[in-house]
Amino acid sequence: MSQTKTKRSVTINPGMLCQPIGAMQAVLGVHAAIPLVHGSQGCAAYPMRMFNRHFAEPAEIALSSLGEDAAVFGGADNLVKGVHALAARRHPELIAVVTTCLSETIGDDVDGILRKVDLPVKLVPMHTPSYVGSHVTGYDNAVKALVTHLAEQTGPNSKINVTVGLLDPGDIKELKSMLGMMRVKAIILTDITGAFDAPLILPRPPFPDGGTTVGEIRDTANSIGSIALSKHAGGAAVKYLEMKHKVPMIAGACPIGVENTDAFLDNVSQLTGRPVPDELRKERGRLIDAIIDVQFKVAQKKVAVFADPDVASGMARFVHELGMDPVIVATGTESKEFVKDVQAIASQTGHEIEIILGCDLYELHEAIKRVGVDLLMGNTHGKSIADDEKIAFARLGFPVYDRVGYQRIPIIGYNGGINLVDRIANAILDHADAA
Amino acid sequence: MPLTLLECDVPIPEREKHTYIKKSGETIIPRCNVQTTPGDLTERGCTYAGCMGVVGGPVKDVIHLVHGPIGCAYYTWGGGRRQNLSDNTGFHRKYCFSTSMQEANIIFGGEKKLYNAILEAYERFPEVKGVFVYATCVIGLIGDDIDKVCKNASKEIGIPVIAFSCEGFRGVSQSLGHHIANDTIFEKIVGTKEPDYLTPYDINIIGDYNIQGDLWVINPLFEAMGLRIIGTFTGNASIDDIAMVHRAKLNVMHCQRSTPYICQLMEEKYNLPYMPVSLFGIEQTSKALRDVAAFFGLEEKAEKVIEEEVSKILPEMEYYKEKLTGKRVFIYQGAPRAWHWIKLMEELGMEVIGAATTFGHSDDYEKIIERIGDGALVIDNPNSVELKEILIKYKPDLFISGLKEKFLSYKLGVPFVNGHSYERGPYAAYSGFVKFARDMYTTINHPAWKLVEGRA
Repeated sequence: MSQTKTKRSVTINPGMLCQPIGAMQAVLGVHAAIPLVHGSQGCAAYPMRMFNRHFAEPAEIALSSLGEDAAVFGGADNLVKGVHALAARRHPELIAVVTTCLSETIGDDVDGILRKVDLPVKLVPMHTPSYVGSHVTGYDNAVKALVTHLAEQTGPNSKINVTVGLLDPGDIKELKSMLGMMRVKAIILTDITGAFDAPLILPRPPFPDGGTTVGEIRDTANSIGSIALSKHAGGAAVKYLEMKHKVPMIAGACPIGVENTDAFLDNVSQLTGRPVPDELRKERGRLIDAIIDVQFKVAQKKVAVFADPDVASGMARFVHELGMDPVIVATGTESKEFVKDVQAIASQTGHEIEIILGCDLYELHEAIKRVGVDLLMGNTHGKSIADDEKIAFARLGFPVYDRVGYQRIPIIGYNGGINLVDRIANAILDHADAA
Repeated sequence: MPLTLLECDVPIPEREKHTYIKKSGETIIPRCNVQTTPGDLTERGCTYAGCMGVVGGPVKDVIHLVHGPIGCAYYTWGGGRRQNLSDNTGFHRKYCFSTSMQEANIIFGGEKKLYNAILEAYERFPEVKGVFVYATCVIGLIGDDIDKVCKNASKEIGIPVIAFSCEGFRGVSQSLGHHIANDTIFEKIVGTKEPDYLTPYDINIIGDYNIQGDLWVINPLFEAMGLRIIGTFTGNASIDDIAMVHRAKLNVMHCQRSTPYICQLMEEKYNLPYMPVSLFGIEQTSKALRDVAAFFGLEEKAEKVIEEEVSKILPEMEYYKEKLTGKRVFIYQGAPRAWHWIKLMEELGMEVIGAATTFGHSDDYEKIIERIGDGALVIDNPNSVELKEILIKYKPDLFISGLKEKFLSYKLGVPFVNGHSYERGPYAAYSGFVKFARDMYTTINHPAWKLVEGRA
């Protein structure tokens, strides 16, 4: 097993975005909440466009509109004016102020400024300078900020908290379905199905139906336990809840594939005392049936996976369960935890895995040329690598906008696994047909 | 009627100055090209977007290196089949270059990282003809001398390395970014190469970005009249062609917001005149061809081209005109298309009930107000709350805007065409007009609108 890390000064075809967009996605999963980006115009317009493309939905993102004056004299006036204008016109329940490289470098004391604002709306500062971490850490910081500012001990609620991470609306629906079968009540942090899987029915409500309510976030301090589906994106929040409010936490592997989903359901069972019902055992059986059915179509194929850390490591184990060979597992976000996770998979399964950390797609492409790969899994930007190397390509992660519907199709849980089996096998079959 | 305040704007009364209902005989121009009201849910982009995303980015054979944290580069990566097409698809828009500035670089400065990044990028793509370096917000704050770094790097690698100081916070919108790109390209590229030969019929097409291949339907029209195109600015442009544009006899200027700067600079320095044109719709395209032909004494050729092209599309256009006549449309574009398209809609018998721009200046609004009908709404830098109010209150049959507004429009049950990057374009000139009309017809008449619960 080897671990590569690029030493270049130039990043070519990045494998990550910056922190603010991750924070915005977390906020858009809260009902009647609007992120207010404390930065220049592009800091709101560009992420909005990215959400539009991936989710095929509108995204409401406000901006403090920092200009040259603010860069010199500070952005406090803009921020205060922005929060007031937004509250007065949209009446949100929560405004999350998402910082950027601009406002963090100017040095605005966002927390101090917001403390002086007197408005009937929850104000939550989120520190997400773009020159630290990635969209994944931005999401992590945002969910932590939500529970830090809102969670409040009032009395036990017999629910569990589940932080989702940067997964899709389809995944959250699948999560709800699994928890429903187990008759477990959960607070989902945060639930983007409201904003990003909204029906077209008129008249349109002032805010999309659904999403995690402010009350639910407040109640997370009273839950019987927390599970982070993506430890890199949501892990900080469940850690905080354990430290501050003694809510026991579990941050295992992202439930992609058989064993990872088994472990997730066991964890839910352990926290709640609820057994895994027959319905879910049957779903498990269907997934394994699907895997066995395609074995001669996919076995021994060499796979490169690039995605956010938890999806990439979750996927690596599933690739093994499919009888395929995970030869490269890459992520754009720096993380020792990720390396440990993939190393554990390698030693348990006996696969030689090249781990690429802090990876750009140029690095990934070089590795694919060197190692030789049959199938690449990754977002829309991986397509050109697959085309150049004439290998099969299965879409995974964010953003996917060169095909439609991926945000609707779950990849987590047993059902998500079935979807992935089909997607992978068909990618290989389509590629063989085209060759 | 004078300036007006939308209901949603009561808490931010300064928006009244940006919102005007047209009345003949008045000379009111809505307030424009000023800082956005904080928190108003604007749709605007930044100076970097105007410089890199619009003007610089389409140049097809240079490395576009974004100096800053990773997001700014990522967001301008790709574009695929939709925008800024070029014939260098193996490189252009396929790669995205960034210095991906980290915290330590912010503290200690990013000049060394930038220098190394330029060299490393060039080493991997030695076939490129230049490097464009774009400064993002944070670079202006930490004070990296990107001009100096670019000069040194250029000496080292022997090709132009050009610094664009287009920090996002500099302007009030994308518009300043266009201006910065114009000035920088004029100063550092134009005039640095000479064409192999000259003809009396050399022109440039300035201010077209080849959205879905617009230039590939525009250029042949001028070429069919016997003109030679030296350079395009900047759709499908090579940096080498831009270096020679000063030798043309005429600049044909399409986008009149993002490129008058370079046209004026060329006129001053090289005595090279420019001619503003609209290349949308039959009337305007024909007028453009006639005007340009008159400049060169090619009137007969122009008439032949026009007759041939118009006859090709006339039957289809008659069909769409019949279907679209009377339909009410609201147009929200960057700036010039809002007025370019008022005439085009008239040709189809449609009524423009409102027009808005993201970054228009007063000359754009003068043109809009001159062309638009009485009672129509003209609004500067509309935000999503205002757009929602307008779409619900005015109930247009069609909204033409960009991706950021597309899904809002759909969710409000309003048929929509993306005028920025098009649906099934290109939309320019004659053949593009048919495609534009077909897309408008398609969305207005889509059967699924009738199935929407609650849509009258």
